[in-house]
Amino acid sequence: MAEDLVLDTAIRDWVLIPLSVVMVLIGILRYFVSKLMRSSSQVPDLKIVKEGQVFTPLQYLIIISSLSYINLTLDCFLILDRQVIVRARNLRSAANFIPPKSFRARRVYFSNEENGLLHVPKGQAPNPQAQMFSDPNMAMDMMKKNLSMIIPQTLTFAWVNFFFSGFVAAKIPFPLTQRFRSMLQNGIDLSTVDVSYVSSRSWYFLNLFGLRGLFSLILGEENATDDTQRMMQMSGFGFDPTKNLGAEKDSLDIIQHDWALPKFEQRAEKVLRNLIR
Amino acid sequence: MVTKTEDTQLNRLENQVDNGGGGAWEYLCLIKKLKVRRPEKVLKYGLSILNDSKKRSSLGPEEWTLYEQVSIAAMDCQCLNVAKDCIKVLQKKFPESKRVARLEAILLEAKGSWTEAEKAYTSLLEDNPIDQLIHKRRIAIAKAQGDISGAIELLNKYLEIFMADHDAWRELANIYVSLQMYKQAAFCYEEVILAQPTVPLYHLAYADVLYTLGGLENLQTAKKYFASTIDLTGGKNTRALFGICLCTSAIAQLSKGRNKDEKESSELHSLAVTALEKDYEKTAPGKLPLLTAALKSLKIS
Repeated sequence: MAEDLVLDTAIRDWVLIPLSVVMVLIGILRYFVSKLMRSSSQVPDLKIVKEGQVFTPLQYLIIISSLSYINLTLDCFLILDRQVIVRARNLRSAANFIPPKSFRARRVYFSNEENGLLHVPKGQAPNPQAQMFSDPNMAMDMMKKNLSMIIPQTLTFAWVNFFFSGFVAAKIPFPLTQRFRSMLQNGIDLSTVDVSYVSSRSWYFLNLFGLRGLFSLILGEENATDDTQRMMQMSGFGFDPTKNLGAEKDSLDIIQHDWALPKFEQRAEKVLRNLIR
Repeated sequence: MVTKTEDTQLNRLENQVDNGGGGAWEYLCLIKKLKVRRPEKVLKYGLSILNDSKKRSSLGPEEWTLYEQVSIAAMDCQCLNVAKDCIKVLQKKFPESKRVARLEAILLEAKGSWTEAEKAYTSLLEDNPIDQLIHKRRIAIAKAQGDISGAIELLNKYLEIFMADHDAWRELANIYVSLQMYKQAAFCYEEVILAQPTVPLYHLAYADVLYTLGGLENLQTAKKYFASTIDLTGGKNTRALFGICLCTSAIAQLSKGRNKDEKESSELHSLAVTALEKDYEKTAPGKLPLLTAALKSLKIS
């Protein structure tokens, strides 16, 4: 397109601004509702490595809804896994400080094929997340618990879709490549429109993900509805702890044990000789 | 672990506070942050802040954590009435809190009413089965009652879940040593060494256990660990020096007749002897004859 599109000021007044305001208000409302509904026990954080995963908005909605369903058994599993991994890592890094016999015993304990701590039997998925999703009762329970999360999001999405679909709502002041088309022009199937124009549905998504800074300003740092943080947690969730165990097992299997202590005798002699002199 | 800079900072603040220079609140914060055990000071200065309503209200929400800190310190000093008052205040403020319930259970324990404390801990664990502190308190109760085997059982259960907790491994090792179960203790010390391979005291303890176990192989390993202790402490550890002497003589006794080239290790032995003699000469010259007699008896045997 050579000439610029001219956007009606009415679009600004009746689409762009209302959409943003509604998103902010809903975010604040959600914060207070979830504060009311939050269970009393705040379980420990799941600080698991984030893995780069990309989710479509629908997946995102589904996973978000499952997030606060972090029950204690799951937590136990994760803690156990993490403790095993820390211990195995200690063994790997300090292996040379214990006698060879002890090292071999420990290695077998961690990585034997029958019941080693790091061994994950094939086929059987001890992944609690999978169990959680496979059990319909649990899934229902989860959904109920997360109505506060999923209802406003579906409603706003439906609302935006119904009233504002197909608008070009804004223009960003710099050019972008074609790859951003799916991000910025969701809901407009015109390949001729310049990528720097933002469709109303995309504006909704940008708001959904991008209002975090504003919320942390309004609601304080620790506001629980923080979407980005949820996203982080979620990708931790999507990650399979067994994978980590397997990796740790492999690296434990290949390390060579080279006992450092015999060297220490000579070093001790040297130290003593210096001391005596 | 407390680093050196933090330690000096702590000592400086302690001096300042002791001499009435103010900064009590910073001092208490530092104690909490470093998790060091100074119950008397916490009790003294914490209470003086809490009793002064102006100072107390200036803390804002930190007031409640101070109450918690002071109540624990009070229990440590057996000032149970103070602790009770603190917990009562907290109870009023947070009637449903698990954290306050935990404090109450600890108060029961401090009073010595074991069964009630145990009951309270069990009910708390039902709500949150992965509360490390409560698990540890239960082990402490078992130990305080003299139920060592119970403590071992609980500690083993705890370590099945929290197997990366090296302090717990060390505690278990101590208990095993006190029961003369040296093999198990050796395993625990190996675990501790794996977690912190550069702390000489763990090497020393492990070597002690191995030496006590006896047997040629264990003795040789023990000697190596004594040597590593010497290396890590720069030869300052007298116990490790003695350990080298003992190990060498025991090994010589066991491998008598077998011709093994042990020249280099015997050098370590003689070096250790000289180092010991020198150390004694410097610090306790009166005991030097005792030392030479003891070493001589080792050599002959």
